[in-house]
Amino acid sequence: MATESLELEEEGKIIGGNQHLIVDDDLREMGKKAAWSVSSCKTGNGVSSLRDDNLENYWQSDGAQPHLVNIQFQKKVKLQLVVLYMDFKLDESYTPSKISIRAGDGFHNLKEIKTVELVKPTGWIYLSLSGNDPRETFVNTFMLQIAVLSNHLNGRDTHVRQIKVYGPRPNPIPHQPFQFTSREFITYSTVR
Amino acid sequence: MEALLANYVEKSLKQYMRRNAIFLCERLYAEFPSEVNLQLLARCYLNNNQPHSAYHVLKGMQMAQSRYLFAVACLEMDLFSEAETALLPIEELCAHVTNGAAVQYLLGIIHRDTNRMKSSVEHFRKALSIDPLFWAAYEELCILGEAEEAAVCFGDVAIHYVQEHYLGNASSYLQIANSDQSLDSSQAFGLEDLSLSHLQQMEGNNIRNICLNNHGGPNLTGPVGQITNSCCNSSFFRTPSPVLTQLSDMAPPPLIRNIRFCQNEVSLRSSTQARREFVRENESAQIRGSLFFDSGRRRSARLAAAQRSFNSTQGSENKANNLRASIKLNSGTCYSTVCKGQFQNLEEVGKLLETYDDAVSAFRATSSSLSSSADVKSVQDETVNTQLRSFISNSSKIKSGISDTINLLRILGEGYRHLCEYRCQEALNVYQKLSSKQYNTGWVLSQVGKAYFELVDYLNADYAFSLARQISPYNLEGMDVYSTVLYLMKEDMKLKYLAQELISIDRFAPQAWCAIGNCYSFQKDHETALKSFQRAVQLNSRFPYAHTLSGHENVIIEDYGNAVECYQKALHVDARHYKSWYGLGMIYLRQEKIEFAEHHFRQAYRINPFSSVIMYYLGTTLEALKRSEEALVMMEKAIVTDNKNPLPKYSKANMLVTLGRLNEALEILEELKECYPRESSIYALMGEIYKQHKKYDKSMLHFGIALDLKPSIVDVAKIQAAIGKLILPDEIEDNL
Repeated sequence: MATESLELEEEGKIIGGNQHLIVDDDLREMGKKAAWSVSSCKTGNGVSSLRDDNLENYWQSDGAQPHLVNIQFQKKVKLQLVVLYMDFKLDESYTPSKISIRAGDGFHNLKEIKTVELVKPTGWIYLSLSGNDPRETFVNTFMLQIAVLSNHLNGRDTHVRQIKVYGPRPNPIPHQPFQFTSREFITYSTVR
Repeated sequence: MEALLANYVEKSLKQYMRRNAIFLCERLYAEFPSEVNLQLLARCYLNNNQPHSAYHVLKGMQMAQSRYLFAVACLEMDLFSEAETALLPIEELCAHVTNGAAVQYLLGIIHRDTNRMKSSVEHFRKALSIDPLFWAAYEELCILGEAEEAAVCFGDVAIHYVQEHYLGNASSYLQIANSDQSLDSSQAFGLEDLSLSHLQQMEGNNIRNICLNNHGGPNLTGPVGQITNSCCNSSFFRTPSPVLTQLSDMAPPPLIRNIRFCQNEVSLRSSTQARREFVRENESAQIRGSLFFDSGRRRSARLAAAQRSFNSTQGSENKANNLRASIKLNSGTCYSTVCKGQFQNLEEVGKLLETYDDAVSAFRATSSSLSSSADVKSVQDETVNTQLRSFISNSSKIKSGISDTINLLRILGEGYRHLCEYRCQEALNVYQKLSSKQYNTGWVLSQVGKAYFELVDYLNADYAFSLARQISPYNLEGMDVYSTVLYLMKEDMKLKYLAQELISIDRFAPQAWCAIGNCYSFQKDHETALKSFQRAVQLNSRFPYAHTLSGHENVIIEDYGNAVECYQKALHVDARHYKSWYGLGMIYLRQEKIEFAEHHFRQAYRINPFSSVIMYYLGTTLEALKRSEEALVMMEKAIVTDNKNPLPKYSKANMLVTLGRLNEALEILEELKECYPRESSIYALMGEIYKQHKKYDKSMLHFGIALDLKPSIVDVAKIQAAIGKLILPDEIEDNL
């Protein structure tokens, strides 16, 4: 993942953000297959603003902290990356500063898998869900919850402009143990 | 005035002065509202791409030719039921309309488009039997998968049939002379009475037949009318069919001239006794020869025109066109009248022709001895003789021309049939037999390209298609397949260039939009690609490949519902489009509906049993259904079919691993490794095998190589996890 500006991770701190959204071709956006919901919102700034590919409009919460964004899938999916777009310069005290990501089967058994602190984020923030173990590259789950625990300057409500969720592409050839990499194999793998 | 206008309209039509033709024809119809003029008007409209006008004009008309033109207009407007009602009853229509084969062909198309496949096949077969040169009918049969071998359809029988028609002209032409002579010289040869009475009987039948024809058939105005009038008087002159005018204006005049000459043929050279005997022997030949008599005039006229066209054209393709044109005119009438049980065996007739020619010349010779005014008419006779002689030499030219044409069609038909049944190597071999003139044409080269494409030999396919484009850049048929070839070869620049070119040639061709769609798909802009394919569908909803490609795009963007719909539409149009069956199978495989997947892959396999990719997927599905033995058999078949395809070998190795036959699996993988050293999955699988063999260092080595070859993230995770598990047993051993 290329970065345009600094991205220092010290004890879960992320400073700044990326101007462009660049993701590996191996990954694909999974959000279209999910049901998105939020804990609260102001009229006109609802959950659809999170998914409309428009960075001008934002979701504004309207309740008590923590503010939650729930992403529910119909079946267990492998997720690797969550990307959020926030802008401190425009949103100031509405910008989240501490975010917790939880995963589980449903509301009853969510478990926190990542916590991160943001410092004046401006742009796309990449949050990888992988653990250190190579076996934990992906999170295989029914539901993901992004919780905004606190905002900059102690703001009550929060603005988030866009959220994207990425997972790996499935094997184009079903029922094969490994994906093919060489050109000859791939040539013979489809009929068009 | 009527004749003048009609003539002029015909001329305008010939010269493609459509507006002129339409205007004048409308005036003609207004002045002389007859059904024949109405047909002419409809023809003008059809020529000018106004099927709706033709439809309204001809609605309700009952004459055979009108019904035929009405059906053509209906088909252009996709009004199948009306077209069908217009074309029935067939028998009567075939008799009256010149192109009985075309009627059958149209009915075949209607039945195919309304999903009555079996009857459609019957109609196409009938069309082909009426007119062996009707390529379109054979093509449709191939697409439906029901074609017989080309050697049968375009075989010796066909050659004789066509020759018989053409030379039937000659003999009937001579027969007219013969009968006249026989009338005159009947006293001289007592035998003649017998033959004459036979002739008269036959002629009586034929007159009746032709009168029937005339009642039903439309009488086009113009020269035909004149002949009809002039010829009706003589009992031996048959009223010509309306077919005549369609051919040319020139035909009738020579006819009349020739007949008059024949009448004078009494005054010919002297003969010998031997010839008389010869004549007696061939009496039966004459009688049977008189069979040709019924449509004699038409044939001789047609033959005259055919001769002219033969002389003026060079290539056999031209010959084919002319022959086809004339045969179409010929076939309906000949078939209906002649084949009313009057001869059993075409070959017999063919042989008869030879004897008949001789008989006639003998007659000529004998009757000349009776001539009284020999000297006066000798000059005329000489010209007649030379005409006859040139006629006979022309007839041998015609014969060879016909057999050449049919041989050409046989090769092309065989190649096309093989390709439709996906026997690509045989198709290629057959096409190699063509002369280089024929081979280096757009159609043949794109067929060759398609054959290579199906064999997954994209380099050769690219070469063939690019050659086709150089030779006939305006021919877009098959260019959709070319764009797919370039897409699969990842030739970005060439694909873009091709798409641009195709669109600039014809914006309304579905093939051009398919190429554009492939372009966008290559750029990963699947939404636009889908739109382009949908445009191709709009332009021609009976173009199955556009539907299939839409389906493929939908699968890539994972919109499986729409994908299934697209594939099903493709199958609705052409149930033998095995790629749609494959597409459906893949969707069901991904959705884990394995039985459905198996069914669809099997259908694809049934249609194209030579594709190793289809076999591979069928094998994979069988393995998923836990039918491992069958799966292995299928994989073996795939390996045998196409040795260059690595996937079945890999899959076989995988299956052997699950069955526990690790060493055999290793062998296969070692081979594969030699051929494809950069394929990470081979090493990964080998690593797995060595792990099971407990050869941990080797396993580690292979996993390492697999990782180096940069597999996908999922596989990286898998392989790293596998490596992790490798280390643990070591630790456990150490601890112990």
